[in-house]
Amino acid sequence: MARQDQIQDERLRDLIGTAHGSMRTGAPTEAMRTLVEALYRLIELKPELATEQLEPRPGWKMPFLSRWPQYGANWKEGSLDAGKPEIEFIRERFAMSEAITCYEFLLDTAIQREA
Amino acid sequence: MKFGLFYELQLPKPAGEEQWGPEDEKRIYHEMLDQVELADSLGFDYVFEVEHHFLEEYSHSPAPEMMMAALSQRTKNIRLGHGIVLTPPGYNHPARVAERLSALDLLSQGRVEFGSGESASEMELGGFGVERGLKKSMWEECTREITNMMVQTPYQGFQGEFFEMPPRNVIPKPMQKPHPPLWVAASRRETTMLAARFGMGSLGFGFETPDELAERTNEYYRIVREECFPIGHAINPGLAVLTTFMMADSDEEALRRSANGPAFFSHSLGYYYSPASGGRHQPGEKNIYDDFLKQNERDNTMSARTGFIKEDEIRKGEPEDEVQRALYRAARSGTAVGTPDRVRETLKTYEDNHLDVMIFVAQCGDREHDHIMESIELFGKELLPEFKERHEAEHGKWRAEQLAGIDYPVNSSI
Repeated sequence: MARQDQIQDERLRDLIGTAHGSMRTGAPTEAMRTLVEALYRLIELKPELATEQLEPRPGWKMPFLSRWPQYGANWKEGSLDAGKPEIEFIRERFAMSEAITCYEFLLDTAIQREA
Repeated sequence: MKFGLFYELQLPKPAGEEQWGPEDEKRIYHEMLDQVELADSLGFDYVFEVEHHFLEEYSHSPAPEMMMAALSQRTKNIRLGHGIVLTPPGYNHPARVAERLSALDLLSQGRVEFGSGESASEMELGGFGVERGLKKSMWEECTREITNMMVQTPYQGFQGEFFEMPPRNVIPKPMQKPHPPLWVAASRRETTMLAARFGMGSLGFGFETPDELAERTNEYYRIVREECFPIGHAINPGLAVLTTFMMADSDEEALRRSANGPAFFSHSLGYYYSPASGGRHQPGEKNIYDDFLKQNERDNTMSARTGFIKEDEIRKGEPEDEVQRALYRAARSGTAVGTPDRVRETLKTYEDNHLDVMIFVAQCGDREHDHIMESIELFGKELLPEFKERHEAEHGKWRAEQLAGIDYPVNSSI
């Protein structure tokens, strides 16, 4: 069973499932655009993500969402620090490895946050 | 479970000194040759060596193909692993990688493992002008083409986003067909699952616990079975993880000999990979080891050396971020540190969770060559034979079940 079936929110599950389908048909750019929609949906469901901070080491804080892999669908400068995350596309095309990496990040985060 | 050694070729500067001694770099190169030669004679399965550039003290290994060529003539059976080759074209032209891999495969009678990756340190990316945001895409494009070069006669040429080349016959071809087993460096879970989708082994640099490993193994092999679209011409299903390694006749002596190794490994890795410090490194000037010693005095990160800490206690204070967590564990956990009995017990938990390859970090920080040699010998004589026996009898059967029904050709040394 694909892991995305564990996601409870129907809209989020559909979006991640659609991205998964795009990857399987060899369309990583399409997958990436859908994944960004899914990312927004996850933030809508879990608004605390927008302001959550990690503290990798004492005294060094970083926004949790900065872990989103930035391969060209990047956080708009300052948007994370302002607590209003916004993605901007600075590339037109994406590689399969990039889509897969973002997909796995999103899937893990969604499953962990819904648990 | 099979076993390997892992080399960054670490060389801390002497405390209080601006530079290394004149013989220091030569010394660690020849020590590595001796260590791997001994490991080969005892039946270790793999050696993996990194490719890193400009990461003073952390890694003095920019040309692993040279070391592997030397090892190919001093060893008989041990697999010679690139752990990894940097494949974005700013570091290495894809044709040069294919040529070197094939030449090494011929020299070593077919013992090459082709690990690939992209690095994330500003020293390396900036040094070679590799754009951070494009490195993953570059890695994918070039790694795929490198496998094509080793297979196609002639290579049909390529016009990609990051490199182009007219048709040429890229020679020699490797001894292993269609090409050596493929691995990718995986410091995050996401990359392990990427490896599964691309039919590559996952060289896990995350210091996973046995519990985490169990979940990752199940998902990794599910994806290999159900969702794999290979990047190469044969798949190499396999999970390898790193752990720190130092054995002795008593736990106390093993801890003493483990010395500052793991903690310095973690400290220097964190230094170069943190945006706060890595990008501001002053080449040729800084003494990272001095900083490390000062930090140890402040936050007592060497607490693990005062006694063995149970996994659940180690995990209490762990950072949430996966990379930072790996650094934390690298410094504190002593998975393969101790007497043969202690190390056997710990490694068995990984074996029970179907790990394919455990790779030991022996050479790190200020550890001593003689201690590493004794440790390799102790493991090779006391523990390796029983793990080998179970690998053949039990793990092979388990792997066959996992891979049943897969249509893709498999080229794997596991």
